Amino acid sequence: MSAPTWKTYLFTYLGLLGLLLVNTLIAFLNLGGFGTVIEIGLATIMACLVAGVLMHGFYQMRLIQIIIAGGVIWFLIMMSLTMNDYFTRGWLPFHEG
Amino acid sequence: MIEAVAEKLEKNYLNEKQGLLSWLLSTDHKRIGILYTFSITCFFFLGGFFALLMRLELLSPRNWLVSAGTYNKLFTMHGIIMVWFFLIPSIPGTLGNFLIPMMVGAKDVAFPKLNLLSWYIFMLGGTVTVYALIRGGVDTGWTFYTPFSTSYSTTYVVAAAVGVFIAGFSTILTALNFVVTIHRMRAPGLTWFKLPVFIWSMYANSLVLILNTPVLAITLVMIAVERIAKVGIFDPALGGDPVLFQHMFWFYSHPAVYTMVLPGMAVISEIIPVFSRKPLFGYKAVAFSSVAIAVLGFLVWGHHMFVAGESVYSALTFSFFSYCVAVPSAIKVFNWTATMHKGSISWDTPMLYAIGFIGLFTIGGMTGLFLAALGLDVHVHDTYFVIAHFHYIMVGGTVMAFLGGVHYWWPKISGKMYPEGLARLSALIVFLGFNLTFFPQFVLGFLGMPRRYAAYPEEFQMLHVLSTAGATILGVGYVLPLCYLLWSWNHGRDAGPNPWRAPGLEWKSTSPPPTHNFEVTPVVTSKLPYDFEAMKEELELV
Amino acid sequence: MSDPVALELREHFATVEQQRGTADTGMWVFLMTELMMFGGLFVAYTVYRFNHPQAFAEGSASMDIMLGSVNSAILLTSSLTMGFAELSAKLGRQRLLGILLLVTILIGLAFLGIKFTEYVEHYQQHEAPGVWFNRSGPHAPAVQMFFVFYFIMTGLHAVHMIIGIFLILGLISRNMIGSLSAAYHTPVSIVGLYWHFVDIVWIFLYAIFYLPGLHK
Repeated sequence: MSAPTWKTYLFTYLGLLGLLLVNTLIAFLNLGGFGTVIEIGLATIMACLVAGVLMHGFYQMRLIQIIIAGGVIWFLIMMSLTMNDYFTRGWLPFHEG
Repeated sequence: MIEAVAEKLEKNYLNEKQGLLSWLLSTDHKRIGILYTFSITCFFFLGGFFALLMRLELLSPRNWLVSAGTYNKLFTMHGIIMVWFFLIPSIPGTLGNFLIPMMVGAKDVAFPKLNLLSWYIFMLGGTVTVYALIRGGVDTGWTFYTPFSTSYSTTYVVAAAVGVFIAGFSTILTALNFVVTIHRMRAPGLTWFKLPVFIWSMYANSLVLILNTPVLAITLVMIAVERIAKVGIFDPALGGDPVLFQHMFWFYSHPAVYTMVLPGMAVISEIIPVFSRKPLFGYKAVAFSSVAIAVLGFLVWGHHMFVAGESVYSALTFSFFSYCVAVPSAIKVFNWTATMHKGSISWDTPMLYAIGFIGLFTIGGMTGLFLAALGLDVHVHDTYFVIAHFHYIMVGGTVMAFLGGVHYWWPKISGKMYPEGLARLSALIVFLGFNLTFFPQFVLGFLGMPRRYAAYPEEFQMLHVLSTAGATILGVGYVLPLCYLLWSWNHGRDAGPNPWRAPGLEWKSTSPPPTHNFEVTPVVTSKLPYDFEAMKEELELV
Repeated sequence: MSDPVALELREHFATVEQQRGTADTGMWVFLMTELMMFGGLFVAYTVYRFNHPQAFAEGSASMDIMLGSVNSAILLTSSLTMGFAELSAKLGRQRLLGILLLVTILIGLAFLGIKFTEYVEHYQQHEAPGVWFNRSGPHAPAVQMFFVFYFIMTGLHAVHMIIGIFLILGLISRNMIGSLSAAYHTPVSIVGLYWHFVDIVWIFLYAIFYLPGLHK
């Protein structure tokens, strides 16, 4: 992939503004738990645009792409194994701990 | 074509620039390694002093030397200093800094100025922590559990937390430097599978530190904020959960213990082949096992919280992964042993420490499996069994590896040999003292002696007395190397470039090396690391 | 005038390319530590929101969505100008670079100004946690927890913004004394990486603090 240009940045920026608007408007609807998924999901897409285009993530050498993936995975490990505790509390009929 | 290495250079990294300022402002990784050696040695003896006071107190079942409150401060400060100012920085800061660039054939690390900054940040963190100590100490345990640390302790919690927070930056920057160096600064021809296993283990170690230390940082910030602003982040009155603190703390601290043992394993993987005159058995297995330990080590933290209130399913998950993480460690032990099998063993001091490491680490590791079993943990959690377990790994493991590494690379670092007879005796004293100190603690724990208690039932006294006797012997074993190593700096005999006839790029330079490590950037042509066959020819040519 | 490339090549590197790639690698590794640090707070937030969904929705409903969304747009704009600045640096257009860096700082200051306004608003509504908190309702204690996280996380973000502004000031000075050029503009891309990352953190902060209470 060739390096980003002025136009690439501009269109990415406009896309980010669009996603910001969409995310905000959707939040006015009562979608329950699914609403949270959309909020985080759209934010994630915005983050990918910033990381991929503005930070050249899409254009970088493989090593750096692995570094980024590693960081994200580790954050997800921390999140999921911690939530594993809180999700499963009270699943047993007796007092635990 | 093998070029002969000069016996000794007139100008080397030690004497090229003289004066205190040239040391304090040096960006040479070797000098920075020596700065770290000085610092962590001071912290080791400070932390050891607290241990000595604790062991003296424990001679009697009643509080006789210190009050219960002071005892709390002793074990807290012992833990904080040993964990953050000795165990974690020791091998990376000293041997890592000195050797990593040389082992990859580079002139220095990727960011030399950042390297020096790391040491200064480390010293700043140490100063703040010592300040907390002088002002009156901390009594929360090195684990800072809430709500005691946030709401009830009247000691210098914030100061200690800030000191550790600062030291954490030093750790991150050094680890970052190592990762980037290993990726970007290798000499031509030095592919990943030709690297010494020391590099693989230090690399994996650095990755762990990069990923876990920031979580410690933010957890300490949260304690400080809660204490200062009185906003109950972990306070149930606000819907908070003290167990969440433990999740965040142990997410850092469990991988942290692997960052204490992986550097030790790095050293052992270098010593065993040389003193068995055999290539490391199962190079790839040992290399990948370092990475496996690093990864799996992040999945087990809840095994510190089995009885703290986490859900049973969570406990099961963590217990399962804790059993998994033992596998790569076991792979290393088997491979080291297989390396020695049918090798030509020499009993020099580094090898004595290495063999001691293998035995003691195995005991420590296996008792970890006992603790990972949910039912058994209920019985021995928060007892001396746990204390014995982790001291077998951290003292029987890491400290022995550190001493072994220091002795092994001492000729390279100082250009001198230490007195071998006295060194072997010291290693023996350390081994005997260690076992006498900590084996009784397994028994104590199983019998029910809780940790962090100064007063205890009469029937435990005999075991405590044995343990204290062992600690005294162990102390002697540590003071001796300090003395004879310092003595050898000026009075030891010249070592020459390769007294151990070891392979590895660092031995292809003079002892001590020149400031730029190598006169010419080495080009790696041999097919294997630890190529003792090629070494034999090389040594016959010289 | 001596070769700016040779001037900047540190002696332990073989080529400028090796040096630049190394600087990028170093900054990305550092940003991953930032990810884990903020990540810890996101995990803690998630735990408490999972345990107290109504309280957190209530807290979020008190946020000023106009200020919040405008601020987000402002910050995204600063990432655009920073990106343009990096392009100017690559083309060796020093004057344009200086202007764009300055604009980025001004936009950043505008963001911080609005943030400060919001903080004052919350304080006046007795939502600042600790001794200043005073709200009634069945979920009030956990609502305070929402604000604890709001202030800590956006506060930490603001600290990072301030650091970023100082870093850009550093770039402006280096540019003014002429040590940046088309051949050597690594500092601009490195600071750019930092600035964009801080923007990403905000994108998620906006999503977790401003959006949950909107559908009340």
